Amino acid sequence: MSKLTFHIGGVHPDDAKLSHACAIEVLPLPPVVYVSMAQHLGAPATPCVAAGDRVKVGTVIGEPSGFISGYVHSPASGKVKSVGPRKDLAGHNVMHVEIEVDPEGEEWEEDIDRSDTLVTEIPTDHAAVVEKIKQCGVVGLGGATFPTHVKLNPAPGSKADCLLVNGSECEPYLTSDYRIMLERPQEIIVGAAIMQMVLGGCRCVIAIEENKPEAIKTMEAALAQLGYKNMEIAVLKKKYPQGGEKQLIDAVLGRQVKSGALPISVGCVVQNVATSLAVYEAVQKNKPLITNTLTITGDCLPASAQHNYLFRIGMPLSYIAEQAGGVPESAAKIVSGGPMMGKAVANLDATTVKGTASLLFLSKETTKRHPEGYCIRCAHCADSCPMGLEPFLINRLYKAGDLEGMEAASAQDCIECGCCQYSCPASIPLVDNLRMAKGQVMAVIKNRRSNGK
Amino acid sequence: MTGTFLWTVGILAALGFILALILFFIAKKFKVEEDPRIDLVEKALPGANCGGCGFAGCRAFADAAVKAPNLDNNFCPVGGNEVMKQVAQILGYEIKQQSPKVAVLRCNGSCENRPRINTYDGVQSCRVKAALYAGDTLCPYGCLGCGDCVAACKFGALSINPETLLPEVDEEKCTACGACTKACPKGLIELRNKGPRSMRVYVACSNKDKGMYTRKACKAGCIGCGKCAKVCAQEAITIENNLAYIDYTKCKLCKKCVAECPIGAIHAVNFPVLKPKPAPAEESKKEAANE
Repeated sequence: MSKLTFHIGGVHPDDAKLSHACAIEVLPLPPVVYVSMAQHLGAPATPCVAAGDRVKVGTVIGEPSGFISGYVHSPASGKVKSVGPRKDLAGHNVMHVEIEVDPEGEEWEEDIDRSDTLVTEIPTDHAAVVEKIKQCGVVGLGGATFPTHVKLNPAPGSKADCLLVNGSECEPYLTSDYRIMLERPQEIIVGAAIMQMVLGGCRCVIAIEENKPEAIKTMEAALAQLGYKNMEIAVLKKKYPQGGEKQLIDAVLGRQVKSGALPISVGCVVQNVATSLAVYEAVQKNKPLITNTLTITGDCLPASAQHNYLFRIGMPLSYIAEQAGGVPESAAKIVSGGPMMGKAVANLDATTVKGTASLLFLSKETTKRHPEGYCIRCAHCADSCPMGLEPFLINRLYKAGDLEGMEAASAQDCIECGCCQYSCPASIPLVDNLRMAKGQVMAVIKNRRSNGK
Repeated sequence: MTGTFLWTVGILAALGFILALILFFIAKKFKVEEDPRIDLVEKALPGANCGGCGFAGCRAFADAAVKAPNLDNNFCPVGGNEVMKQVAQILGYEIKQQSPKVAVLRCNGSCENRPRINTYDGVQSCRVKAALYAGDTLCPYGCLGCGDCVAACKFGALSINPETLLPEVDEEKCTACGACTKACPKGLIELRNKGPRSMRVYVACSNKDKGMYTRKACKAGCIGCGKCAKVCAQEAITIENNLAYIDYTKCKLCKKCVAECPIGAIHAVNFPVLKPKPAPAEESKKEAANE
C-alpha cells in the first residue's frame, strides 16, 4: 500500500502518544453539570428550559438560533438549577444551563436505544438522516465543531465525489481518536457508510497515519467484515498538520483547494472519525451527541495517571482532573486540544463541550517561551508552512500595519497550525501575529463583500 | 588635454541649461493651482500628524478645512480652541468652541484590586492577548496591561504604572487625539471633558457582569447597585448592563455619587483639597473620607 502525504511544508514533532495503551474508561457523572450553549461554531443555542424544570438524559435544552447553529441536549437526568452566564475555557461569559444530577440512577429519554447491538442496515432516506443528525446536535469533532448537518448538505450545484474520514490524529499527545478506532471500529465504519449514502453513494476513504498500525489493522478487519462497497482505508505518512482539511485532501487525492474555497469545491467532504461515530449513534441509536472521548495526558503525568475517558458534556474540567488524580504540581500549563493548536486553559472551572478532545498537563520545559530573537531570513517558516505562505513576511507586514500587503501575501489562508513558530530558530511568535493579520484581512474581505452586495 | 576638459564641461553645462529650461516650461504648463490658504492653515496646525481629527494628517485636515463651507465638522483636538481660532481667522469662518478633552481609563483593576488567576506569557500585545482569551483575571472587561495604548500614543502621555499595571494618563501631555481609544481592544479609554481646572468625576469600571461576579473578580468593580443614580440631582448617571455611566455633559461635579458609591468605583480627580496628582485611586478614597 502506498503511503501518502501532503506536498507542501509540514513538520515532524515527536508524537508523544503516551496514553495510547489506555483503554477508554467511562467517567461517572459529577453532582452538578454545567452545559454550555456555545458548543458549536456559529450562533450559540438558545436555552429552552428554565430553572426548576426536570430533564432526562437526552432532553433538548438548547435550540439552534441560526442556520449555522445546533441543538444541545441534557447529558444527565435531574433538575435544572439555573440558566445564566458562566465563564468558559477562555474566561468569556457564555450561557450555561446548570443541572443538578439525580443521585440515584438516571432516566433516559424513551426513544434512545442504549443497547450495544450493532445496527448495520443503512437507511436510505437522505433528508430524514440529515434531519436526524441535526436533531441529535452532531457537530464536527475534529476541532472546529462545525455543525455536521450543514456540511452534509452541500450547496445546490456542488456534488461530492469523495468522503474523507479523518483518522490521522496528527497532533502530538492525543490518542482519543486512536482509541475509538481500536475499540469501536465497526460503529465508525457504519457511520461513514451513512454519510456516504447521504452524499449520494460517493467514494469513501478512511485516512489513518502510519504511526497507528493497530488502528489500521483493526479498521481494515472491521471493514472486511462489514463489506461495504466503495470504501477503503488509506495509510498516510506521519506528518503534521495532516489532519487539516486541505492537507488531507491533498494527501489522499492530490487535489488543491483554492484560497477561500471550501473542500466541496473540489468534490470533497471531510469528517473526523469521532464525528462518524456520533453520526452512527445519532442515526442508528437515536442518541444525541452528549458524550465524546478525551485524552488526559502530558509530560508531567506518570504513566499510571494517563487516561482516555468517555465523558459527558458539561463536566467541569477540574472534576475530570480530580478523577484522573489531580493537577500535578509540576504542571506549568494546562492545554485543551493538541499542543500545536490547542488553547491554554485559563479557567479550570470551565466545562467540557462536545469538541473537547484532551486535557494536557505540560511541564515548564515543554511550554517555555523563549525570548523573541531577530529574523535571520532562514526561511524555515516558509519551508514548513503547509499553505505555502511566507510567515516572516506576513509578520513584518502585520507589524507595519500594511493591510493590502497582508492580503496580497494571503494572510487569510493561514490555518494557524503553528508549523512556522515550531520551526523558527529565533522563537518569533509568528502564529500569534499571523492570527491577528488573518483576522484583520478577513474583516476587510467581509466588509468588501457586504459593500459589494 | 585641456581641450577635452573644456569640451566636457561645456557640453554638460549646455545640457544642464537645456534640461532646466524644459523643466521650467513643463512646471509652468502643468502647475497645480492650490489654494494658498491650505499652506497657511497647515502652518497653524500642530503638525503632529496624529490623525485625531479623523484625517490622515495635518495637510489632509487643512485641505478639508479649506474646502468645507464651515468649520462645524472639522476640529483639531490637539491644537484645541487656540489653534482653531487661528484657522478660523485665516479662513474667515466662525468656530464652535469645544471644551478640551482628556483620555480617561475606565478601569481600576490594579494588581491589588483584581487578583491574577493565571499567567500570560505570550506576545506582549493587548490585541493578541484579547484574541486568545479573556485575560489573566476573572474580569473579562478590564485592562489587559500590555500597553497597546502606550504604544499608540504619539505624545508620550501614557505610561504603564509598574505597581498597578494600569496605564496612566499624563494630563499635561494628553491631546485627546483618540489614538489610544482605538488601540484598546477592550474599549476602556474614553475621551471625556477635561472639566474646569481639570476636575472630573467618572466611573472607573467597565464591567457589565452582575454584581456578584464583579465582586468576585475585582474589589473596585461597579456592581450596578444604582445608589449613585438615585443621589444624582442632575440625572447624569445611567445604569445599563449592571454598569453606571456618568454623562459628563450633565455632571455638575457635586461629588454626591462619589460619597455614595459603596465600592469606590467613582473617581473624582483634581478637586482642590489636594494638589493635582495623576493617582486617581488614592485621591478618590481620601476625597470620600474628607466628605
